[in-house]
Amino acid sequence: MDRNPDQVIRRQDVARPLAAPGPKLRPVAPAGTVECGGCGRRFGEQRFEKHLRVCPHCGRHAAVPATTRAGQLADPGSLGVVRMDVGDRDPLGFNDGVPYPSRIAQARERTHLQETFVIARAAIAAVPVVLACMDFGFLGGSLGSGAGEQFARGCELAVAEGRGLVAVCTSGGARMQEGIVSLAQMARCSAGVVAVSRAGLPHISVLADPCFGGVTASFAVQADVILAEPRARIGFAGGRVIEQATYDRLPDGFQTAEFLLAHGMVDAVVERGVLRDTVASLLTAFRGSR
Amino acid sequence: MSVSTETAERERTAFAAVELARNPGRPRALQVISEAFTEWTEMRGDRLFGDDRAVVGGPALLGNRWVMVIGQEKGTDAISRAVHNFGMPHPEGYRKAQRLMRTAEKFAMPVVCLVDTPAAHAGVAAEERGQAWAIAETLMTMLQLRVPVVSTVLSEGGSGGALALAVADRVLALENAVYTVAPPETCAAILYRDAGQRARAAAALRPGVDTAYEIGLVDELIPEPTPGAHAHPTVTVAALRGAIVRHLDELCTVDVDTLVQRRAARYRAAGG
Repeated sequence: MDRNPDQVIRRQDVARPLAAPGPKLRPVAPAGTVECGGCGRRFGEQRFEKHLRVCPHCGRHAAVPATTRAGQLADPGSLGVVRMDVGDRDPLGFNDGVPYPSRIAQARERTHLQETFVIARAAIAAVPVVLACMDFGFLGGSLGSGAGEQFARGCELAVAEGRGLVAVCTSGGARMQEGIVSLAQMARCSAGVVAVSRAGLPHISVLADPCFGGVTASFAVQADVILAEPRARIGFAGGRVIEQATYDRLPDGFQTAEFLLAHGMVDAVVERGVLRDTVASLLTAFRGSR
Repeated sequence: MSVSTETAERERTAFAAVELARNPGRPRALQVISEAFTEWTEMRGDRLFGDDRAVVGGPALLGNRWVMVIGQEKGTDAISRAVHNFGMPHPEGYRKAQRLMRTAEKFAMPVVCLVDTPAAHAGVAAEERGQAWAIAETLMTMLQLRVPVVSTVLSEGGSGGALALAVADRVLALENAVYTVAPPETCAAILYRDAGQRARAAAALRPGVDTAYEIGLVDELIPEPTPGAHAHPTVTVAALRGAIVRHLDELCTVDVDTLVQRRAARYRAAGG
C-alpha cells in the first residue's frame, strides 16, 4: 500500500523520513525538554507545544491532552470548558488489586480532569460548536459510565444551543472495570449522536492515536465526516489480539489512518497543523448549505 | 477457609457459570427459529460484500404475527460451527442485519433478535471491511427503528458484537446466559495481560445476566429448567416464545413515535 497517498492533507508536500525507533535506555530528557517518541530527538517544551505536539523533525503526532486539544481547535478566546460533575461510579465493586475508585482518584489527580472527556463550548471559524475531547491519559481514554454521561450531556448541549459537535476520539475502548455498564455506554453515546443528527447539526469526528474497541464501534465513526491523524492506529480489535486469536499475518500499515483511508473508512488523513482549518471548512460548508 | 481459597472458589464458580453458558447443548438461534416460529424464509447477503453465516434472518410467523427474526448462530457440530464462525460475525453479518431491519420497517414488522456470540470476529478481514463501522451503524439503526424490537440473549452476549443486536424496546435473557463487555479471556488479556487468568476476570466482571438485569440493560430473565437449558432445550424455547409473544403484544399497542422516543430515552439513561 502507498504509504503517502496523495489524499493526505499536509502542510508541505515533502516526503518525510519514516519514524525510526529511538535508541533504548537513553537518559531521561532534562526538564523543559520533550523527547520525540518516534525519532528520539529532543525539543524545548515550548517549541514542541507551538508545533502542536508534532515532532518538527519526523512529523510524529504525539498524544495531546484533552484540554490542550480543545485549545488547539477553538477560535482564540472562544473556549469555555463546561464544568460537569458526573459523580463517582463503581457499578461492579471492581477490585483487581487496586480498587477501581482508587484508580479513578489517581487518574483525576494526574490529569486534573473529572473523567475521560473535556466538554467545551467553542467557536471554530465562528461556527458555534460543542467540543468533546477525550484524554488518553485518563485510564487510557476508556469509556465508562462517567464518560458516557459526559458525552451524552455534550450532545444535549449541542442540541439545546444549536451547536455542531466536534469529537476528538482517542481511547483503548470500553472500561473493563465497569463491565457490562461500560458496554451500555456505546448505546448511550449513540443515542446522543442520534439526537444531534435529528437536529440537523453537523457532527465531525477526529480520530487520534490510538482509537479502538467500543469507542470506535460507536460515536467515533457515527459522524458526518471522519478525519484521522497521520499514522494514528484505529480499529475494533487490537492487532495483538488479532494475531493471537487468528494467527493472521498483519498486513503492512494495518489499522493505521492511511490504511483506513485506502479502505474507504475515513474521509481524510489530516496533519494536526491543518486540522483546525479542515474542521472549519467543513463546518462552514455544512452551515452554508442550510 | 483462607482468603486465597475463598478467592479461588469464587473464581471457580464465576468461570463455571461462563462454561454453563457455553454448553453446546443450549438452544441456538436456528433451533429457536425452527421451534418457535413458522413459515421462516431466510434472507441472505448484505448486498455489499458477502453473506455472513454467523448471522441468520428473515421473515417468519410468530403465532399469527409476521416478524423479522435475526439471530447470531454458533452452530451445533464441528462443521456447522465452522460455517457459522462460532457465532462471531464479520461486518457483513451486521450489515445484513441492518438490511433486514430496514425491510422490517418498510413492512411494519416487529424485529426479534436472538443474541448469541462470544464477540464480534477479531481478524484482519473484519478490520479491513470496517467491523467497528458496521457495529456503530447497527446501533444507530436499532435506536431509530420505527417498529417494535425485542432482543433475547440466548447464551453468550459478548462485546459490542452482542450489543449491536441488543438495542431494543425489551431485552430478555435466558437465566443462565452471560452478557459481558468482552469475553473473560479478552478481559484478562487487557487487564492482566494474560488470557489464562480468565477465571479471575470472570469473577471480577460479574458476567451473569443478573448483573445486566440489575442495571436495567435486561428487562426479563427467562427461567431455565434444572440443571439448565442444555438439558431441556425444547422446554426452554417454549418458555422463551411465550415471553417474546407477551412483550410483542404489549409493544404493538404503543404508538411508534412513543416507542422510538422511549427507546432513545432508555439508552440515554443506560448505566446511571
